[in-house]
Amino acid sequence: MVMLWIFALLLALAVLALGLLGVRLRRLSAQLSAADAELKKREASQAQVMHTTKLASLGQMVAGVAHEINTPLGFVKSNVEVVSDLLGEYEQAVTNVMTGVDFLLNADAATATQAKALVIKARGQLSRATGLNEARELLIDSVDGLKQMSSLVMNLKGFARVDRDGMDVINVNDSIKSSLTIASHQLRDRISVETAFGELPPVKCMPSQINQVFLNLITNAAQAMGEEGVLKIVTVAKAHSVECSFEDNGSGIADEVLPKIFDPFFTTKKVGEGTGIGLSIVHKIVQGHGGSIRVTSQVGKGTRFVVELPVAAAPTSALSKAGA
Amino acid sequence: MAAAGSSKPLRLLCIDDEMRILRALKALLRDCEVQLCNDPRQAVAMAQQFDVDVVICDQRMPQLQGIEVLREMRNSVPRAMRILLTGYADLKAVLGSVNEGEVFRYVNKPWENAELRALVAEAGRIAREAAVISSEPINERDASEARAAVGILVLEDDVNAQARLREILAPHYQVRFANTAERALQILEQYETGVVISETESRQGDLTALLKALKVHHPHIATVVITERANAQTAMELINQGQVYRMLLKPVRMGSCRLSVDSAIGRYWRLKANPRAIQRFAVVNLPSFAQPQLMISASLLTRIRNLPSRIIEIVRFNS
Repeated sequence: MVMLWIFALLLALAVLALGLLGVRLRRLSAQLSAADAELKKREASQAQVMHTTKLASLGQMVAGVAHEINTPLGFVKSNVEVVSDLLGEYEQAVTNVMTGVDFLLNADAATATQAKALVIKARGQLSRATGLNEARELLIDSVDGLKQMSSLVMNLKGFARVDRDGMDVINVNDSIKSSLTIASHQLRDRISVETAFGELPPVKCMPSQINQVFLNLITNAAQAMGEEGVLKIVTVAKAHSVECSFEDNGSGIADEVLPKIFDPFFTTKKVGEGTGIGLSIVHKIVQGHGGSIRVTSQVGKGTRFVVELPVAAAPTSALSKAGA
Repeated sequence: MAAAGSSKPLRLLCIDDEMRILRALKALLRDCEVQLCNDPRQAVAMAQQFDVDVVICDQRMPQLQGIEVLREMRNSVPRAMRILLTGYADLKAVLGSVNEGEVFRYVNKPWENAELRALVAEAGRIAREAAVISSEPINERDASEARAAVGILVLEDDVNAQARLREILAPHYQVRFANTAERALQILEQYETGVVISETESRQGDLTALLKALKVHHPHIATVVITERANAQTAMELINQGQVYRMLLKPVRMGSCRLSVDSAIGRYWRLKANPRAIQRFAVVNLPSFAQPQLMISASLLTRIRNLPSRIIEIVRFNS
């Protein structure tokens, strides 16, 4: 009888234990699917942020170019209108001379002296008219301004690669130069840029992505430097790669933060100033190209990023995954 | 473009780091005597040397910001009217141009030739005709007299912001609060008011049109705009069409608020003593392009127009 009781008790305990185990299992599996959903959500939101980052860099590009174009547009537009006025004034002076000449040609003995006086006066006015010279100078400036604007547009096309997508063989120095132009409105009058471009072999890469990397590093440096600073950009050719370093004398990155800077969503910026996605994209793109990125920093002294890109191309499949 | 009658051509100083902009301005404004300056550090000395009527200054220059140049101009060459010409409408620059540079107008690049010409002609006329008042703070005796005689109107319907302003202003000034444009006009009708402190928006809608209309008819009243949603475009329009005296961002800081209101009362007091300087702060007589488009009801406009003028000269000035 006792044995039976004990047996029943054991059975009940076993059922209980099994039940508990089941509950736990269910909880675990719920946790697992929650984690899975979270992961999917994170991936989706990362893709979303990447898209937003692209838009942000597009916006930045537009703002930069709009600002750069304003100055030449300002004087060219004004000059063309003024030249038209000046030509009108000059035309009037020429007309006066012609009227005088007609008068002289039709003059008789009585009016000849008067006609001569008129011609002399009009001729004198014409010879003193400076309109044509002024117009020419304004046109020289205008041609200059138009060249500047067209090179800005070329630059923009080169930067965004609107006409070509995918792989291309480029000179990395050109890529850095066009990124500097795009970022120039953030640098101008507070940050001076010192460049030392080495002779580089052409690099096979996805230029639109590489440009994004450079723009990102330049803007980060500009933000780290606050009111003023110096950005040094050096490129050198290595045995099988090119190396580009971006060194600022800004606020620097603390030691405990440094290992995290390439993590997606990690940011030290205030809400609204950064998405935290910038450097992780930079990292991904560089890796996708089979290259590497290193960083050294000292708080209060500045930060140096070094991007190394192999001269031989990485497989295309790896590239299309990165930063797409 | 020579000033009215047979008087001598206007004297202009154009400041920009870009020579090609300077040459374009010189050609455009060739009816004036134009001095060109591509080093802003020399600008004030040049303005003094040539006793210029109008200064046109770029904002972004490598050696010195335009606002700093104009602030110095305001102190050293107060007769000259100041125009900021910039390719860049960032909020910081716009706020600085009001609060520090006290600019007459803020013009964007690329400019419209006819507009800029007309603007320069108008600025030059004012510089030659209108009296100059000092921008130094008034002395303490005048200040306390002014504070006793002149009221301050706060147009703001946010309870917290009102409380904050009450805390800052009530101990020092006769300050009256209005939640609506309607109530604000009642106060203006009833009391001599030297300074209007206002948001740009209320729950009932935009307030900037009211501020601009008030400026058209009562340019002696100083407007201090306190805003939460600052945007460069609105701020620019408030300068060009509303001649705001100061523009502060929320949350309001005690120090800058007191400073702004003190100096606004000071200016009102000086204008009251010297009404011939009022033109400098007016928005009438503008070329048509810059006339404010007043989106404001006819009845409100009539009341604004009929507000009692407490400065004798204004009646004549507006007629």
